[in-house]
Amino acid sequence: MWRFLGTRIAMGAFTIWITTILVTLLIHAVPGDPVQIMYAQSQGTTPEQIEEVRRSLGLDRSIPVQYLMYMERLLQGDLGATIRGGQPVLEVILQRLPNTLLLACAAMFIAILIGVPIGFLAAYREGTLTDIALMIIAIAGISMPHFWLGLMLLFFFALELGWLPVSGNGWLNLVLPALTLGLSNAAIFARLTRSSMIDVMSQDYVQTAFAKGLPKALVLRRHVLRAGLLPVVTMMGLQFAFMMGGAIVVENIFSWNGVGRMAVEAIFQRDYPLIQGFILTFSVVVVFVAIVIDALYAVLDPRIRRS
Amino acid sequence: MTFLHTNLRRMAGATALVAGFASSAAADDIIWARYGDIDSLDPHRATSTLSLQVWSLLYDTLLATDADGLPVPHFAKSWESNADGTEYTFSLQDGVMCHDGTPLDANDVKYTIDTAFSEDAPSLTKGSWGPITASEVLDPLTIKLTLETPFVALIPFLADSFSSIICDSNGEGFGTTTAIGSGPWKLVSWTKGDRIVLEKNPDYRNFGKLAENPGAPHEDGLIITVVPEPQARLAALTTGEVHIAEPPFDDVPMIKDEGELSIIVAENTGQNVFWEFAVHRPPFNDVRARLAVAHATDAATAISLIYGDLSVPENCPVSRGVFGNDQDFCAQYRPAYDPEKSKELLADLGYSMDNPLETALLVWTGGNRQKLGEVFQAQLAEVGIKASIEIMDIGSLNARVRQENENTEGTTGSMDMMTWSWYDPDILYALWHTPGAYRGYTSPELDALLDETRVLTDPDARKAKVQEVFKYLLENAIHVPLYTPGWEWVFAVRPEVEGFFVAPFVYPNFSDVKLGG
Amino acid sequence: MNTSTHQDGPRAAPGFLRRLLRSPSGAIGLAIVLLLIFCALFAEMLAPYNPAKMGAGGRFLPPGGDHLLGTDEFGRDLFSRILFGSRITLLIGAVAVGISLTIGMAVGMIAAFRRGWIEAILMRSTDVLFSFTETLIALSFVAVLGPSLQNAVIAVGVAGIPFYARTCYAAALVETSKSYFEASISAGAGPARLVLVHLLPNVLPTMIVVATLGVSTAILAAAGLSFLGLGAQPPTSEWGYMLAGSRDYINRAPWLMTIPGIAIAVTVLGFNLLGDGLRTSLDPVERK
Repeated sequence: MWRFLGTRIAMGAFTIWITTILVTLLIHAVPGDPVQIMYAQSQGTTPEQIEEVRRSLGLDRSIPVQYLMYMERLLQGDLGATIRGGQPVLEVILQRLPNTLLLACAAMFIAILIGVPIGFLAAYREGTLTDIALMIIAIAGISMPHFWLGLMLLFFFALELGWLPVSGNGWLNLVLPALTLGLSNAAIFARLTRSSMIDVMSQDYVQTAFAKGLPKALVLRRHVLRAGLLPVVTMMGLQFAFMMGGAIVVENIFSWNGVGRMAVEAIFQRDYPLIQGFILTFSVVVVFVAIVIDALYAVLDPRIRRS
Repeated sequence: MTFLHTNLRRMAGATALVAGFASSAAADDIIWARYGDIDSLDPHRATSTLSLQVWSLLYDTLLATDADGLPVPHFAKSWESNADGTEYTFSLQDGVMCHDGTPLDANDVKYTIDTAFSEDAPSLTKGSWGPITASEVLDPLTIKLTLETPFVALIPFLADSFSSIICDSNGEGFGTTTAIGSGPWKLVSWTKGDRIVLEKNPDYRNFGKLAENPGAPHEDGLIITVVPEPQARLAALTTGEVHIAEPPFDDVPMIKDEGELSIIVAENTGQNVFWEFAVHRPPFNDVRARLAVAHATDAATAISLIYGDLSVPENCPVSRGVFGNDQDFCAQYRPAYDPEKSKELLADLGYSMDNPLETALLVWTGGNRQKLGEVFQAQLAEVGIKASIEIMDIGSLNARVRQENENTEGTTGSMDMMTWSWYDPDILYALWHTPGAYRGYTSPELDALLDETRVLTDPDARKAKVQEVFKYLLENAIHVPLYTPGWEWVFAVRPEVEGFFVAPFVYPNFSDVKLGG
Repeated sequence: MNTSTHQDGPRAAPGFLRRLLRSPSGAIGLAIVLLLIFCALFAEMLAPYNPAKMGAGGRFLPPGGDHLLGTDEFGRDLFSRILFGSRITLLIGAVAVGISLTIGMAVGMIAAFRRGWIEAILMRSTDVLFSFTETLIALSFVAVLGPSLQNAVIAVGVAGIPFYARTCYAAALVETSKSYFEASISAGAGPARLVLVHLLPNVLPTMIVVATLGVSTAILAAAGLSFLGLGAQPPTSEWGYMLAGSRDYINRAPWLMTIPGIAIAVTVLGFNLLGDGLRTSLDPVERK
């Protein structure tokens, strides 16, 4: 198990290391002069000042040197300053990251709460009309653009009915974005749970248990659920990454003050230090969550636990 | 299902940990929702209208503007200049306090100017302070500014929030977590992207600002929140979540009909939306191509389609409320809507419907400007100009326009719907005097005219010169004005709000506001 | 993730269309996709108005009457815009998946075929890219290249590469480890022959399924970027962009929001159903 986790952590660290290289290169891939683009708002900048900024960002050095400079600052927790307003990037991100994590967790909760029981029910009634109906709903759910679902929810619950507030960061404000993100991912969990459960139920030991005449509920609880939900747990890491990605759009619809809304603003404003910080933060969060999920999986799966 | 259970519980625990917010406003806080946030609390670190509006609440300026947009005394009770216009002496009000209890005096003014001109981090608007070479504290209530050359636009500049006076007690964290000024409102907190919380400054004294209230604001607090979606702002207004916000333009007639919310449209905004072109390469290095665009543009129809009667066409390169603006004068020279004329010019240049003039059309995001761009795109297509719209943030737009002007290769043109708001025609100097803010059109004749607009101290003489500049810009289709105002100028206000108004150059004022009902 | 083909050697697929049509999801999916292709090909003939023509009718005309789906804020005919939008949407799906598929398959097959350090490098970098998630890759690309439909499509295409590479690699690995494959190598078959005759036909069924499902993912992703303003620019009748523009008129003209959304959902549903149908019909042993 430790070997398994060790590999995962090493892989995660490697991924983050690659990300640091990519974000350093990012600014060089920008067409035109990034410094000029960044300081376009200022009417007073002289060519000398532009040169100075370029020097302070290290853009006059070779790329490897720039990378080392970036890493040195990074290890001191310095992600640079935003172009708009000159605030520390790390501070700006940390101020908003909890909101995004909260949204992703709430959405994950909803997705599992709705998706897993539906998948289980469909598997239990495999081949029946219930199964077919549930799976049609699931595939329709997967096909629904979440930005559209978000708009519709906003329209009905906030604008038409006035049940929920439309702006701000309170608990009530969390309902609609979490529902939007959760519903569109519930379908994925439903499909996954169903196929995994069917898989397990066709296993010999389960069939034997049924054949022995053990109570159905007992077999389901003792054998099927645990084994059947393992793939669902594995999926959670990947799903969390999807949620983080989906949050970018959903935050923009519901004025939720997370890193996703910040990232889109930063792209429009060409605030490269902020974009770099966002990419780095995003990959750190995704990698971290993946490792946690892997650890959870290792604890749950006896085969890995014992190895 | 036990493991799932614990797992969920663990997640819920994490959720509770990261959630430390859920703030609710006190009953007597005014809540104002806007589409975006400020960039900085430091008046030297940003240029957006969103930022300026907040600075005007936090800080004082030496001068203020009257209802017509003209400078009047404020923190400076009077000023005089020498005959050359190279020295200005301001005598200041006694007993004004900064938010931290320290006195506001000539030292703070000097501190502000010194920071604006600092070597390592000059103000973004350093150029607009003019050629100031020295600031001298004659006594705590008198400050003298020395200029290298005369600069008549200094006085209106000192009435604008770009010149907000920063208390010299500001230090670490200034601009992001703290902002000590002497304005009617004190900073409580700023959560970037979400809200700015202000409380009233009980010691505030109003000398020249337009508010009737001579002292502290009536209400205790002011919360400025960010709500990007127009429909969400409207819903929040309807439910009473916010008191004041910019409504969706298309819903304004409906709001007026229903009569519950009132609509306030800012006047004398100084906002000018105009065409300009990349003039150092074909096709727009030829005046005929620029005129073809100008003649093909029916601004009146386009803006009435998108903004209804909330905006009006503008004929002058600086808008209503700014020195020198004269609709009748400018109308003589602004190329009028005349698609036939446009087609002739294009034919002259060798273009036709099958061989269209191709250009990029750069537009600033938000405020329905991209929709307006789409209408203009369709109008240009009518005469055979193929424009491809690119939408970008104002910062990117500024950079891109300059890049396009510096690019002399190629045959695809570039034009943009540029936007500027300024309190004085001196903006034209920044835009069109060599080397030009965007490295665009310049010429020796135009330079000479613009130079004179900076030094002529006699208002009539200056006005005549400013209008010569207008004529030059319009006839050569360098700066083709389209409409005014252009952004953040419409406010929907809840019925319980009394006393809200918008001062010239779009500065909302909350000192007189009372929340009734 | 389905990666399995279970028969030895290349496989012909004669009865596959029959099987596809017999599965309800396959038949419905195919019908939707064919309808879309029809609309895209003949948009000029089918559309009653020029989709870019402003003032073809009044502004905000509700659906019905002269304008089947109503008109938008500029008085443009919504039905015509949706029709032309189908062309853009299919093109987005095809190009993005084309990028992911060709590069992904090349990487996957080379890795499975060459093994050794090439395999290690290719597959480890794929793993790293995969853990970045598609959204982040796409967003980073747009951040660098700037917002435009073309850049959004490239971004979505590139973002999909890791997934296609992994899937293709797994499918190819199944073949290269089989006895007949090793026999062909020892019989002196050249690499080109091995890849073209043995490897490609065997990974193709899996990749067709993955690509069909991938079209729907790509369409959703590109529409999402356009919705945020990071993709299509006006006056393109791209559905995600149209949806974004409709937000201002949510009260006044709700159909401007509903209709493009339904168009996206139906298209994506079509490709999802078709992919599902293909999966079962191309691989009868497939259980899922």
